[in-house]
Amino acid sequence: MSAKQQLKEVPVDRDTLHKVEQFLYREARLLDNERWDDWLALMAEDIHYWMPTMENRRRADKNGAYAVDRGALYNDNLLDLTRRITRFKQPTAWAEDPATRHAHVVSGVEVYQGDKADEFVVHSSFVNYRSRVEKDNDLLVGRREDVLRADGDSFKLARRKIIITQSVLMAKNLNTFL
Amino acid sequence: MCTANDGSPVRLKRRPIAESVANLDRLMDLDKGRMSRDLFWDRDIYEQELERIFARCWLFVGHESQIPKAGDYVSTYMGEDNVLIVRQKDGSIKGFLNTCPHRGNKVCFADLGNARQFVCNYHGWAFGIDGGLKGMHASEAYEETGMDKAEHGLHPVAHIDSYRGLIFATLDPQAPTLAEYLGDMRHYLDAIFDMDEGGTEFVGGCVKSVIQCNWKYASENFVGDILHAGWTHDSGAKAMVGGSVAEVHKFPDQSYQVNFNGHGWEFNQDIVGNCATLGEKDLLKYLYVLQPKVAERHDDFRSRMIGAISSCTLFPNTSFLPGQNTFRTWHPRGPGQIELHTWTFVNKNAPQEIKDKWRKGTMMTFSPSGVFEMDDGENWEYSTRSNAGYVTRQQDLYLGLGQNSKLDTDLPGNVYRGQINEANQRAFYQRWLDLMKSESWKKVPQRDIPKMKEAL
Amino acid sequence: MSEPVFVMKKNELEAGKVRKFDLCGNAIAVYNLNGTFYATQDNCTHATASLSEGDIVDDECIACPVHDGTFHIPTGQPMSFPCEHAIRTYKVIDQGDAVMVDFDQEADEAADAI
Repeated sequence: MSAKQQLKEVPVDRDTLHKVEQFLYREARLLDNERWDDWLALMAEDIHYWMPTMENRRRADKNGAYAVDRGALYNDNLLDLTRRITRFKQPTAWAEDPATRHAHVVSGVEVYQGDKADEFVVHSSFVNYRSRVEKDNDLLVGRREDVLRADGDSFKLARRKIIITQSVLMAKNLNTFL
Repeated sequence: MCTANDGSPVRLKRRPIAESVANLDRLMDLDKGRMSRDLFWDRDIYEQELERIFARCWLFVGHESQIPKAGDYVSTYMGEDNVLIVRQKDGSIKGFLNTCPHRGNKVCFADLGNARQFVCNYHGWAFGIDGGLKGMHASEAYEETGMDKAEHGLHPVAHIDSYRGLIFATLDPQAPTLAEYLGDMRHYLDAIFDMDEGGTEFVGGCVKSVIQCNWKYASENFVGDILHAGWTHDSGAKAMVGGSVAEVHKFPDQSYQVNFNGHGWEFNQDIVGNCATLGEKDLLKYLYVLQPKVAERHDDFRSRMIGAISSCTLFPNTSFLPGQNTFRTWHPRGPGQIELHTWTFVNKNAPQEIKDKWRKGTMMTFSPSGVFEMDDGENWEYSTRSNAGYVTRQQDLYLGLGQNSKLDTDLPGNVYRGQINEANQRAFYQRWLDLMKSESWKKVPQRDIPKMKEAL
Repeated sequence: MSEPVFVMKKNELEAGKVRKFDLCGNAIAVYNLNGTFYATQDNCTHATASLSEGDIVDDECIACPVHDGTFHIPTGQPMSFPCEHAIRTYKVIDQGDAVMVDFDQEADEAADAI
């Protein structure tokens, strides 16, 4: 990383760091508890919620493992997220009945000043473990790079990029947000 | 060394055919709509599928648009065989088993890319993009032993060919031509993959996931099961279009099932029914504008298929949905697992914003996070798993919907009235049984006589 | 210094391309890098391979067609695994529209590099 890039990561004060952590932990709890509307309310109007799929390419291949115009499991604006939540709430979402038990664990939170005065770049890692019916268990691990925007005493999520380790998703579906 | 149909040598060794699982005829009585659960559970049947279905049939291996330049390659699977599909310097395409003939290591670890050669990480055996062995680490040592490099190149697939941009390959030198294999289904494939002179391309890369089900549940679902949509996918329809799945069973004269050689396509004549589930008006408009041009290029009947409520499986394990534009292969991974590879296809000549909307829309509806596909996985997993029960797996399954719905028509293929039907599924399993019982391609019964001419 | 040997006319080799010549008992590879011509031994120093069957990459390097190891064309220096030993370069003499090679001299760039 060049010296210039290193300078860009300007840490924030303790109070902001604490508030961002609490925001992320609360977000994880909302997802664990299927509080979809409360979770959606955390999104900014212009949210871009992006989880690209990983391709296995040689290091020398300049195309890289993912790109914004390639495969993605989430490539959502607010309407897209709303549509997914509409499905989760349907009594006919058979794959959600009985309910899945989720645990979203968030860790390694780092907060830096964003490009705008009211925005923050937030890095974190996550573990999502879910259990369905008798012994249908799946584990997904990765990192997130967010842009949070100040909203009163809290924040809104303006951008999220989720990078998972798996190139082949080892689960039949992805029935939560990360 | 084995030989192709024309007597030319093929550097691909094949064992003599093994003895069949006993009494396969007991597995189904399609006239009565009866099937055995052993098809979805039995390990010996699965192993025989690897030999008599996957090592014999033409399997989808990629789209021409994925490998435009010399040296471009994709790594994919034929059954459980990992293969590299590589564009050659002269524009042709070759396919090879992705294994070093020295000690067997995988030669290429990337999913796709461009290569000047493929070099094995173990001993530096280096293969050109034409599969020929060009050299090794410490090659002088080999030269002293008089080894003939020509005998140790990558193993090529037996045949490789493409139709309307879709590349297929087979590991059986005795296989019929791709045109014979696809047969009359080509007539209908043109409605989607030849809408205009530009044809199609894949966009956005490949999304891969694992489902713990037998591959045939996925293939049979897409070959003819639109019945499930109204029930399984109600939540997806409510999410994307705010209403229920269209009640297509109420209008059986407006939809059809067509099958040929085990391939099957169920479809409506509503032009945009599948596309509508992507919730994007611009895509509907695009199809409505295109439809009369497709009618002129082909015919009115086929032009109404371009985005209609429909699904298709090309035997054995490649399927697609017009309108949602998802294209996928269900790779078998044992009797109880598949690896699903999905792509998005679009017309090459479509405007970029339209292509982007389709790329996004397919992921939104038919991917592991797709609001429709999410409910399918569980159905197939638990249909498979229930057969762990010893007594459970001795019970019959039923596949009797739509008996006696065949239509007498000039349309190519076997045509049936109403897409709410299981005629295609029965034809799929009949073809499966024919292949499983036959010791070679020569012995496979030709039940379906083509109405289309062979030459293109 | 020996007599320079005629190899070819300049317009016989496009920019970005390489060709093999057998002259005076030497197999050489001749390169056209954006209008400037270079010559090196044709045999790769790593294993049995003809460099002229490879591709010019990164503007100034030749990638061996067997293991994709690279050499810097003007200096002959090995640039990437598995190449470890430099290839011999030959001084190219510009004579109007002809490419001439002096088999006794290295390229100027190579002489500076050693």
